[in-house]
Amino acid sequence: MSEFKIEKVDMSKDPSLERYSRQMRFGGVMEKGQRKLLDSRVTLCGCGALGTVIANSLVRAGVGFVRVVDRDFIESHNLQRQVLFDEADIAANLPKAEAAARKLRVINSGVTVEAIVTDINRTNIVELAKDVDIILDGTDNFEIRYLINDVCVKFDKPWVYGGSIGSHGQTMTIIPGQTPCLRCVFEAAPAPGEAGTCETAGVLAPIVSIIASFQVAECIKILTGQPETINRELIYVDVWENITRRIKIAPLLGKVDCPCCKHKKFEWLEGEQGSQTTSLCGRNAVQVAHRVAAKLNFDELASHLKLMGGDVSYNRFLLKFTVEEYEFTVFPDGRAIIKGTSDLDKARVLYAKYIGH
Amino acid sequence: MPIKVQIPQAMRQHADGQANVDLAGANIKELLDNLGAKHPNIVARIFENGQVRRFVNIYLNDEDVRYLDNLQTATKDGDVVAIIPAVAGG
Repeated sequence: MSEFKIEKVDMSKDPSLERYSRQMRFGGVMEKGQRKLLDSRVTLCGCGALGTVIANSLVRAGVGFVRVVDRDFIESHNLQRQVLFDEADIAANLPKAEAAARKLRVINSGVTVEAIVTDINRTNIVELAKDVDIILDGTDNFEIRYLINDVCVKFDKPWVYGGSIGSHGQTMTIIPGQTPCLRCVFEAAPAPGEAGTCETAGVLAPIVSIIASFQVAECIKILTGQPETINRELIYVDVWENITRRIKIAPLLGKVDCPCCKHKKFEWLEGEQGSQTTSLCGRNAVQVAHRVAAKLNFDELASHLKLMGGDVSYNRFLLKFTVEEYEFTVFPDGRAIIKGTSDLDKARVLYAKYIGH
Repeated sequence: MPIKVQIPQAMRQHADGQANVDLAGANIKELLDNLGAKHPNIVARIFENGQVRRFVNIYLNDEDVRYLDNLQTATKDGDVVAIIPAVAGG
């Protein structure tokens, strides 16, 4: 039996840019564009289906700093489309942002990946957004998208919307002042239960990859300093019904009476704080969050819960326990996702009973 | 040649499961009224207090009717009208 010695190649010490040679050979990027990518900073909001595809491409493309923000943990039904996760991540009870960052650092040690496990809201969005060049949308809800839209319009930052469900998806690129913003195109979020969710309507991996890939292409154009090449239409694709649509939205800029980009009213960012208790659409689960982040001691909480008859396991990222017919996932900042109910009041009562106020 | 109205997946249960409905109408309003006459349950999914719901957009041949003449935008045979709600999943 022959013996192979595998040596670890430290690409971060390789100044030659060889790993990006095929991308640099492309006329739209070249060495100049590649160097810009390496100097660029991106915040990715949400690291689920769209987010894992986006993060994978950004890190392979050599975007110098990628901040991955996600509030959730990994479940087996994510693996069908969330390309950075595997069974070992589930066994290790890793939050999505942390699991993604670990994979991404192995893919490309020459760029910086920052994992942030948090619920994006109006109290932290500015901090997450202010030191980056662009924001990419990997979220699954309009509440956060309108918040991203507010921050980007207010601070004059580009962002790329993407959404997918079933076999179809949409994407558009927002450069404040130059294109319509999200609220110009979609004046309000779909009412709960109206538009379907990935849990109720399902979702195919191919449409996720297509939409996420459009988002990354737009990102590369902007980061390499070529905003004139962006797509200025709303792209709509359905991979099952064989529909590709490019909807002209540019004339909406200035034509609609947009509270955000026309009147500079940032209702999601500056308005009354939204509910701290959120029903996770279609999942029979509720998220309970604190206004001010707490700092939980999992050792103490675990022993307390065991006394109350709960089945508890934890690592430094999250604590899981099952009691009655409910499954709790608790994060160090005090946030909890409670599975087994979609009733907000019931969830608050359960939280108070087992975790405290 | 009629006008083709494309029904989004989330609303098809209110249109006998059809992806497309062929209709006549001189403008968007008339066309959607005719759709509602055929499939009454779809009306509340598209309209609220007589206005198109704020997360639903109407596109005529891939143009947003809000910068045309909105519900009064004229339609003609062979046009394609798409009803497309915002897509939230991700």
